[in-house]
Amino acid sequence: MDSGKVKFFLGEVLRNFSRNAGMQITAIGTVAITIVLLGLFLFIRAALADVGARLLDQIEISAYLRPDVTNAQVAAIGRYLAQDPRVASAKYIPKREGLAELRTQTRGAIDTALLTENPLPDKFRIKARVPEDVAAVAATVRRLSGVGNVVYGQKIVQRLLQLGAVLRRVGIGVIVVFLAVAGIIISNTIRLTVFARRREIAIMQLVGATNTYIRLPFICEGMLDGVLGALLAVGLLAIARATLWPRLLEALPWVAMSAAPVDPRLLAAELLLVGAAVGILASWISVGRHLRT
Amino acid sequence: MISLHGVSLVYPNGVRALDNVSLEIAKGDFVFLVGHSGTGKSSLMRLLYREAKATTGTIVVDGIRVDRLRRNRVPALRRHLGVVFQDFKLLTDKTVWENVAFAMQVTGAHTRDVMRQVPRSLDLVGLSHKSRMYPTELSGGEQQRTAIARALVNNPKILLCDEPTGNLDPANTTEITALLQRINLKGTTVVVATHNQAVVDRMRRRVVRLEDGRITTDEERGYYYLGLGQGQVLSG
Repeated sequence: MDSGKVKFFLGEVLRNFSRNAGMQITAIGTVAITIVLLGLFLFIRAALADVGARLLDQIEISAYLRPDVTNAQVAAIGRYLAQDPRVASAKYIPKREGLAELRTQTRGAIDTALLTENPLPDKFRIKARVPEDVAAVAATVRRLSGVGNVVYGQKIVQRLLQLGAVLRRVGIGVIVVFLAVAGIIISNTIRLTVFARRREIAIMQLVGATNTYIRLPFICEGMLDGVLGALLAVGLLAIARATLWPRLLEALPWVAMSAAPVDPRLLAAELLLVGAAVGILASWISVGRHLRT
Repeated sequence: MISLHGVSLVYPNGVRALDNVSLEIAKGDFVFLVGHSGTGKSSLMRLLYREAKATTGTIVVDGIRVDRLRRNRVPALRRHLGVVFQDFKLLTDKTVWENVAFAMQVTGAHTRDVMRQVPRSLDLVGLSHKSRMYPTELSGGEQQRTAIARALVNNPKILLCDEPTGNLDPANTTEITALLQRINLKGTTVVVATHNQAVVDRMRRRVVRLEDGRITTDEERGYYYLGLGQGQVLSG
């Protein structure tokens, strides 16, 4: 590589960049805000998905057995559940244990001592491997002989699955809007630089520089705007993560959520990449528009 | 080197800038394009470096069919040409040296070639000693010499000058004219569009006259005003 060429090229990019520093700062700032929002959004989405997944994970199927169930039938049901690949775990809970559980769950709100006989049926407590299989497993178990009623959080499962789908869709929409805003701002900044350098561009065209060559410094400038904005955003998000996130976890102990629903390094890399891509695309478009005339 | 056949140029607003122009310029020629403002001198120049596209007709410049040239091939054409303007078109934030080097650097020249060519070009125009100065620190003539050095730095076979002395006083005009002649003597084909009667009359070179977008006369050793040179052409 010709070091003189590289030096010349980098010099051009830096000169462009420092020429209207005010505008560059505006662009970088806006990109940073946009990417902070985008990062927050991605994070919240991941956190919600995490909570949803945990709730779904906790969903159990209760297969209540008929009062007249025989020991042979109980054994057969147990064998079936042991070999069904969709079933993660199954536990037989006789009515005595069921009552004890009820007592602890209600924390004495219902005085079980008043009961003269145990009204609870025997049951199997079943967990599916994946939430999507819960309904199917429940339907199969219902057909086994000796099984009476089968109960699981039908509504909860459906709602959570729906919520996930809606979040994905809304998420894509919001991301597109954010990126468009960042793109427009970078594009305007580049247009100002192009305008400031129109004489140079005219001379470059006159002496036979190719459009690709003329474009390159502007593309780099746009990319620099995008990457610096994203870096700033990642820094802000990292600070927020270090200071606010532990407090939030502390404040909401009942929310079943992991400490790190997303890998912070992966998220940072994604955001930087998004910043660079938006910068490149925006400047490509605005220089292209100038060169075409 | 340059040949036009039946070339017309109609601008989008309907103005017919050139009308059925045919012209042959041989390698090493020195040609003045003269005529009043708005008679198509600049339009003709712009066609040659493909700033404008001919409406009809064929244009060949250094073996390149300019009238059919695709947009992405235009840079290649311009590397064969040097172009000089009335307003110099120098970059004020770059030194003389940098302005000249710029033409090579932006066309991807190797640094080694830049280091060799730029001093040669500056030497040719006599500005080696001012290579570190900025255009605003130079006289008009020196600025135009910088522009000429830039136009020549890629060793073009053709130098196109659109009113090169339009902004210069008589002394600087003489200096630039002499320089153009020197460049021509080295074998470069030179085409100069000009209003400047003194320059044309002193040089006594080929004069192509445009009126209302048509070539009206083409004299081998012409004067600015029609007829003054006829005697010499006929006798010589």
